[in-house]
Amino acid sequence: MFAHAALCTASLVMLYPLLWMLASSFRDNADIFTSLSLIPAKFDLAAYARGWRGLHTGFGRFFINSTVISLLAVIGNLLSCSLAAFAVTRLKFRGRDLCFAMMLGTMMIPYQVTLIPQYILFLHLDWVGTILPLVVPKFLAVDAFFIFLMVQFFRGIPKELDEAAVMDGCSAWRIYWNIMLPLSLPVLGTVGVFTFIFAWDDFFGPLIYLTDVEQFTVQLGLRGFLDAGGTSDWAAMFAMAVLTLVPVLLLFVFFQRSLIQGIATTGLK
Amino acid sequence: MMRPAAGHWFLLPWFLGFFGLTLGPALASLVLSFTAYDLIEPPRWVGVANYVRIVTADSKLAESVRITLLYVVLSVPFKLGFALAVAMVLNRGIAGLSVYRALFYLPSLLGASVAVAVLWRQVFSGDGLLHQALLLVGIHSPSFVSDPDYAIYTLVALSVWQFGSPMIIFLAGLRQIPRDVYEAASLDGARRFQQFWRITLPLLTPVLFFNLVVQTIDAFKAFTPAFIISGGTGGPINSTLFYTLYLYQEAFGYFRMGYAAALAWLLVLAIAAVTATAFLTARRWVHYEA
Repeated sequence: MFAHAALCTASLVMLYPLLWMLASSFRDNADIFTSLSLIPAKFDLAAYARGWRGLHTGFGRFFINSTVISLLAVIGNLLSCSLAAFAVTRLKFRGRDLCFAMMLGTMMIPYQVTLIPQYILFLHLDWVGTILPLVVPKFLAVDAFFIFLMVQFFRGIPKELDEAAVMDGCSAWRIYWNIMLPLSLPVLGTVGVFTFIFAWDDFFGPLIYLTDVEQFTVQLGLRGFLDAGGTSDWAAMFAMAVLTLVPVLLLFVFFQRSLIQGIATTGLK
Repeated sequence: MMRPAAGHWFLLPWFLGFFGLTLGPALASLVLSFTAYDLIEPPRWVGVANYVRIVTADSKLAESVRITLLYVVLSVPFKLGFALAVAMVLNRGIAGLSVYRALFYLPSLLGASVAVAVLWRQVFSGDGLLHQALLLVGIHSPSFVSDPDYAIYTLVALSVWQFGSPMIIFLAGLRQIPRDVYEAASLDGARRFQQFWRITLPLLTPVLFFNLVVQTIDAFKAFTPAFIISGGTGGPINSTLFYTLYLYQEAFGYFRMGYAAALAWLLVLAIAAVTATAFLTARRWVHYEA
């Protein structure tokens, strides 16, 4: 009983700022700085309307942009990482083990080292100011960590399955697409959900690569409220902040098991 | 097995990414770190000048390193301490474990977003949530985010608040410890406190080691919260100038790409050194036998 009381209090204290932000998104600006309560006096959606209209560009635009970038990132990671994982677990070719070792090696390289030359490269390709620098790398399997996760899973799928398929004259592509991928839905789900959340929350990438407000993601859009200067519209900002958290929360609710397991076994955020 | 040629086709995307976006750029940034390059004029070879400046002539960088180390040294132990404490309470066979686990994990899940960073800025501002709460008990607090003496602690608090993901890993580790070990120990008269020091902690050292390395590396690389809370400046008076924020300013504020590349390599070396130290000392304190 004592443990429950302590845990309830602790989780309430921890979640209090988030709940307070939710409550404040229904308040007007004056009340935000005077009310500590978690229950707003009235459910006023005015701040949502103001925030959605935005300063220059509507917030709906940012939502579309973020959704497009995140979904493309998911597709890219699922395809490219599974192709690489399939090659190193199921195919035989010269240099296979070396390739796998190099994949593991890239997990150790922090992005700061590749950041500046990548930026210069994208600048020369005329990609700065487009979403390409945020999306194309995902199709080139740069998140070695996810390859590793898939390799672990593929190794658990019995080899007899694809050996039988080879006997029946299946090509490697058919085996990859018709046998391995359908059997790998759990790991594809985990990688997809983590990729979506990471891409959705990414601030640094959009910050340096997106230059036109029309292309901004929700994270850059939120920051726009702060830059407006001393007269920040806190209620509208909180309202939009709450909205940007909704997709992540929904994914958590639906994929809680695989997310928790992903963290427990691999240390992902 | 299958036709050997297919393997190379399957690996083509990774291959392009590895050479074009990882290995190539990593080597390029090493070369770039010996040049001066502003993106307009071609890169100019300057030898070790960038590194000399880093070591001898950049007081702002020195401040940035100090702030970053302070952040790492404060946030990581507190974060892991909370994570372990809560994990141990949850591991005592409590009903509703998965609900509590989800609630404690929420800040970690949402913490990387700008939404939480802007919330944090309000909570610790001059007339923000914490200020109001402290007024209720008669304390007139300063504006934490705009006071150079306090600003860094708001970032530490933000990091510690996100103890959920190491907690989940601790919890997974605690469940591996067989119950009968504790039963045997309590039959021998070991008290709770002794059980913790003699059984739980030693058996948990592999997990602790993992959490320590991952969280330390993450702390070195923290960027978004400092950027949002300081409005991109690292202020007030450089008190939240994380290393990554300084690197960002040098690269994308002043376009000193060569210098920024040198800073990036220094960060990698620092992270490598910390990780190597952890692994080298691991033999003495990490117990891998169950």
